[in-house]
Amino acid sequence: MAAISLLNPKAEVARAAQALAVNISAAKGIQDVMKSNLGPKGTLKMLVSGAGDIKITKDGNVLLHEMQIQHPTASLIARASTAQDDMTGDGTTSTVLVIGELLKQADIYIAEGLHPRVLTAGFDKARFKTLEILDKLKIPIEVNKESLLDVARTSLRTKVHRELADVLTEICVDAILAIRTDNKPVDLHMVELMEMQHKTATDTQLIRGLVLDHGSRHPDMPKRLTNAYILTCNVSMEYEKSEVNSGLFYKTAEEREKLVTAERAFIEERVKKVVALKRKLCDGTDRSFVVINQKGIDPMSLDMLAKEGIIALRRAKRRNMERLALACGGVAMNHLDDLHESQLGYAGLVYEHILGENKFTFVEECKIPQSVTILMKAPNKHTLMQIKDAVRDGLRAINNAIDDKAVIPGAGAFELTAYKELMAFKDSVKGKSRLGIAAYAEALLIIPKVLAVNSGFDAQDTIVELQEESRLNPEPVGLDLSSGEAINPKEAGIYDNYIVKKQIINSCSVIASNLLLVDEIMRAGMSSLKG
Amino acid sequence: METREILSLQFGHYSNFIGTHCWNIQERSFEYNSTTPSEINHDVLYREGLTLKGEVTFTPRLLLVDLKGSLGTLPESGNLYDPQVPPSTVDTWGQGVEIRESDKLPKNALQQQLDMHNSLRTNSNLDNAVNVWSDFLYPRFHPRTVNIIKEYMHGGESEFDVFPLGAKLWKTEQFAEEFADKIRNYIEECDSFQGFHVTLDATNGFSGLTSSCLEYINDEYERKSILAFPVIPSHYVDSEDERRPLKDSICVLNLALAFEMLQEKSSLFVPLCTGSNGWRKPGEPRKFYHVSYNSTSNYHTSAILASALDTITLKHRLKSRHDSLGDFCAYFNTHGRAAAGASLCLPFSLNKNADFIDCLDNWEGPLTQSITPNCTIGTDNLVQMFTLRGIPENRLKRPLPNANKQKLMSAYNCNSVNEMLNFYLSCNYYICLNNVTTVSQGMSVKTPFPNIFDEFVGNNGNIYGDSRPMDTVVESVPILAGLHSGLEVGTMLESLHTEAKRIKHPHKQQFITEGLEELELSESLNKLLELKECYENN
Repeated sequence: MAAISLLNPKAEVARAAQALAVNISAAKGIQDVMKSNLGPKGTLKMLVSGAGDIKITKDGNVLLHEMQIQHPTASLIARASTAQDDMTGDGTTSTVLVIGELLKQADIYIAEGLHPRVLTAGFDKARFKTLEILDKLKIPIEVNKESLLDVARTSLRTKVHRELADVLTEICVDAILAIRTDNKPVDLHMVELMEMQHKTATDTQLIRGLVLDHGSRHPDMPKRLTNAYILTCNVSMEYEKSEVNSGLFYKTAEEREKLVTAERAFIEERVKKVVALKRKLCDGTDRSFVVINQKGIDPMSLDMLAKEGIIALRRAKRRNMERLALACGGVAMNHLDDLHESQLGYAGLVYEHILGENKFTFVEECKIPQSVTILMKAPNKHTLMQIKDAVRDGLRAINNAIDDKAVIPGAGAFELTAYKELMAFKDSVKGKSRLGIAAYAEALLIIPKVLAVNSGFDAQDTIVELQEESRLNPEPVGLDLSSGEAINPKEAGIYDNYIVKKQIINSCSVIASNLLLVDEIMRAGMSSLKG
Repeated sequence: METREILSLQFGHYSNFIGTHCWNIQERSFEYNSTTPSEINHDVLYREGLTLKGEVTFTPRLLLVDLKGSLGTLPESGNLYDPQVPPSTVDTWGQGVEIRESDKLPKNALQQQLDMHNSLRTNSNLDNAVNVWSDFLYPRFHPRTVNIIKEYMHGGESEFDVFPLGAKLWKTEQFAEEFADKIRNYIEECDSFQGFHVTLDATNGFSGLTSSCLEYINDEYERKSILAFPVIPSHYVDSEDERRPLKDSICVLNLALAFEMLQEKSSLFVPLCTGSNGWRKPGEPRKFYHVSYNSTSNYHTSAILASALDTITLKHRLKSRHDSLGDFCAYFNTHGRAAAGASLCLPFSLNKNADFIDCLDNWEGPLTQSITPNCTIGTDNLVQMFTLRGIPENRLKRPLPNANKQKLMSAYNCNSVNEMLNFYLSCNYYICLNNVTTVSQGMSVKTPFPNIFDEFVGNNGNIYGDSRPMDTVVESVPILAGLHSGLEVGTMLESLHTEAKRIKHPHKQQFITEGLEELELSESLNKLLELKECYENN
């Protein structure tokens, strides 16, 4: 009887072999769920809730978030995989598959009496070796459009259908290249993602400028301006009665009126400053003026601005202040004293687009936009969600490639090469831990196997053929999903992120080892102790 | 007239129960072709919109948050803007697709009727048909209204139970970005936005989520008022015997942390519960004359709190007055008195054919029953505000020729309901600052409001001598609700402080594991004590 049972008779306990069996079956279970998603030929999953809400996805990360995982081991694996996504933006499905396979392989040896400790020691050696192999396979890249397109395409094709993936690939790469400055890390927040429920998914486009999700709130304001100065500011232009002089403090209606006018005048003063600047800079020229304010602008102020032909937008997103400065130039102002032309930004075209109750304002034709917008279009909500998830992952993949300055050949090539080299390495290791290395090598093959199965080929046939090819060919060999034959991923332009693979190798080995070493599972928490 | 808009926020399942009743009450009283226009300016809480098909909508300006699985049959983005499509018709670009369909939940009679006719034809008893708030939801929501927390599952022993978990949740993209953006979208379209109504479950993780949200609001929308209602359910899901002291302690600590943060971040907050104790155990249910309700049913108790909430907030939602939410809060919140107690008289029992003057003359005991836990409202040294609805001016008193005894009462000189109630208050309460708002229309209690009134309450809410016939239903009732600030509110805060102080270390463990430091906790408790001191007379 386990010790905990003496202390807490209610505690649930699973020991030794039983504990291991629990962990392995959970890992297998979650692996089975995710298997069919891997790769460009993986199936989509449509989740329909009890109320009829639809969600379509292929992204492992999204799936794991959607599924309510109860089993503790499974949720541990799920958490490790979503952490993978948080860090690198990709590789969730692979993580789940590899962890599951590592446990499956380990199970075979443990059943034969091998101690888990020995096995994990082998895992550890294999991990170091695999990282070495990974570094050897690294293909250094120049940061240019061609090389980034390949990485982005490989990632995006696993998330959405081919046609859409190709559209998004182009957009994501252009977006990153636009906001990137040499020798500085890319801030992905400077790519705004805007959704528009309109047209079809392939109408998604890149706007070299900003799209704001609101428009002017005055009927007389122009809907379209060209050659415009952009004033971004964070200054309230709405009259607010302060709480101090509420109710009790004035005796008569006139007195109240007087106070109101005085406070109003204060706000009006601010608006007049903007108007004065506009007159100074624009009157008599062909230039126009746009105000984008993070704070509110009340109808009276809007009216004053409208009379001058100014477009004024209120309540802009906080982050858009930063983006506007990068897209149009200029500075986000916190006060309106001593305004100067150099503090203003510039956009060649500003116009409004109305869709039902939603207004969009496009700020385009900026000189050197360092912040851009990906305008996602789709006829319905669930497609928009799918595009959004895909675009995010695409951007991350490109950014990873830039950070790594390298890529890894895809299409299962890395796993095949790693298998070949680990098997060779195994023989140089003494003792039983070489069994761990063998298990590890075997487990890595799950990726090309599942890729083959998802494309409708036989796993064994394909693997045998690929291994044959790999032995003859010094170059890494991958799987062609349309023919089932071997290809050279470099020639086909299929590349994976270095950091993603590295992360998978590290986290999978660690989690799998930890799960193997568990010899007792107890369920007894604070909540079951009588307080 | 200029409308000063308010955005409503609801955090948590019980808050959503209350919120749903509030919206039902309002929407059931909408008159589309009436000759007597409503006294209420609905634009304060509602917004007009346009669907992609060009249909005009009128939906609550509302954002609500709940846990996954709490929606029942309600789709997350509603079906007003985006009609649902059957999964089989979804375009999947000819790719293989695997459908995982959860069991389709059956809709109850009320929701079926709404789907079929877009309106309610019959009255039905929903007591057994309500599991979650969407089961008795009458209005339709804007797609941005509902926000579901995917990380935690609704029902049973929810794991979303401590304050720091909620605060952590705000940092995720769903809230810090998307939710914040939704707030901004709502406010951007308002011409003279004035503030927020916030209802929050104060006994679980939602208190922490609200805390972070209010912090954001204070930061981004400075000088906008926030009127907050921390609510406590009168019954917890697990049965009373199994409810362990640990859970109770967690509730108390959440409440203490919630009150402390509301003191700092809201303009005024009013704790609400239909139980008299609130903190550890909800306690004895409060009693109301001519009302029999099931204190273990959220559907019932939330209806009572909702009618109070709807009545209290009437003052700044009327067409005829220019009161602002800011004035409303500032009326109570002087010298740091950020908390207030609420009370209710439901229905305001006016006998059939009787006049208001006689009713007040015969009244025994306090006008209203407190609905703030651990807070018995006294009769002196109070700052208070009453809202009375449902007493038309023609029920005030009899005209002079047949006034009989009424003439002898000094109140007979009063010429309006408002004036008379004010007069009554000045006679019965000492050293009090009173403020009275009156509305002649009663509160609508048509289905989906539960039938909690006893047999003597008539169709218009008046009290009859004999039972009402089987086939009539109560359609509207007069109601009186009050807000009070005085020594008693201090006592309430003190009792919470004492209760929280007693909690020993092991019961705080969960808070500490989730990142709240012991020191912060005791500091919060001290601040609570400071707030209590604001209510002492000196």
